[in-house]
Amino acid sequence: MAYSNFTLDTVRTAFQLEIVESAGAFSEASPVVPRAHFTDELSERVELATSSGTEKARSELIVTDVLFELRKHFDHRISFFSGIEFSVDAEQGLTGVCDFLVSLSPILSLLEAPIIILVEAKRENLITGLGQCAAEMIAAQRFNAEKGNDIPCVYGSTTSGTDWRFLKLEDKKLYIDRTIYQIAQCDKILGILASMVEQKA
Amino acid sequence: MAYSNFTLETVRKTFQLETDEAADISSDIESVDPSPELSKILARNVPVAMGINTEKAKSEMIVANVLLELRDQFERRISVFSGIDFNVDAESGLTGVCDFLISLSPTQFHLETPVIILVEAKKDDPTNGLGQCVAEMIAAQRFNKEKGNNLSHIYGAATTGTMWQFLKLEGTNLHIDNAVYSIGQCDKILGILASMVKQKA
Repeated sequence: MAYSNFTLDTVRTAFQLEIVESAGAFSEASPVVPRAHFTDELSERVELATSSGTEKARSELIVTDVLFELRKHFDHRISFFSGIEFSVDAEQGLTGVCDFLVSLSPILSLLEAPIIILVEAKRENLITGLGQCAAEMIAAQRFNAEKGNDIPCVYGSTTSGTDWRFLKLEDKKLYIDRTIYQIAQCDKILGILASMVEQKA
Repeated sequence: MAYSNFTLETVRKTFQLETDEAADISSDIESVDPSPELSKILARNVPVAMGINTEKAKSEMIVANVLLELRDQFERRISVFSGIDFNVDAESGLTGVCDFLISLSPTQFHLETPVIILVEAKKDDPTNGLGQCVAEMIAAQRFNKEKGNNLSHIYGAATTGTMWQFLKLEGTNLHIDNAVYSIGQCDKILGILASMVKQKA
């Protein structure tokens, strides 16, 4: 059992989550305008990632750059991790590799609390990643609590690089935004991610 | 059986390759200066990738960007594939996913003429990727033959992102370069990749 085995239904049952779905849950976040250099590169990257279409290409060409831009926005005061083993509770299936993980600590060589955003990359169907992402968010909540970083919310996203869906976990309430944001609105996507880092989303 | 199961030893035996393990493929090749954009990206990404130190981080933060630059230098007349299925001959174990692949045609939607195979090597040592890389090079050779693509050489690179080692396959003659380049010598790495695209390495 690992993160990738969870569906939204099994994660809800296993951790007694209350699921709250709504449209536009993150719509209030102010946009963060990316640097011109980022926007210039993005169109080539999106074109490449979508034509070969693999999850790997989408992750490395789009998601990584969005997270670098986010880190830049916060003057490197946050860190993000890619493909790291994040095992918190094997008995409950909270083990496995996270696609991307954002921490509020600037340290890169060691994963430190608090972990704030978990990103799961998917080739296309963002719904299938929701259970896995939610399980990773629960693990992050526990990891933060164990390290004494009791921050109120942990956030998540399932993304194909081109489409982004956002989640929030507050105690046992899992909020899922029905709105899907597209990379063409990357200022909005960056804005939502930034508001998550600021714990304002 | 798949590409990743091959070691250098098993691939040599299975496909009866004549191997020169200390070949000089690269020493005479002229360097190609990276664009200011790539230099900037690498200055930002390499420390982050080395901090995170996962294969995924190094591949998406370093290798993908070097290959995009190569594509730009050839004015997008070549294509870069990442994470695609490349199944050529299941009976011989020539199946699996290719980490990266360069093809001599501009289309990104399907693979036409694979010329350079790149393998993400594990555990910080490029030599760990050599067997898998050679198996994929043999598959590319067969693929091209079946398609009627007349390429005399197929090239390969086993890379950790920070360290790169190059290979050349000509018929059943396998040449493994005696040098290993570090990403600090990005101009040399770009020069070698460019000469491979031109079939001159």
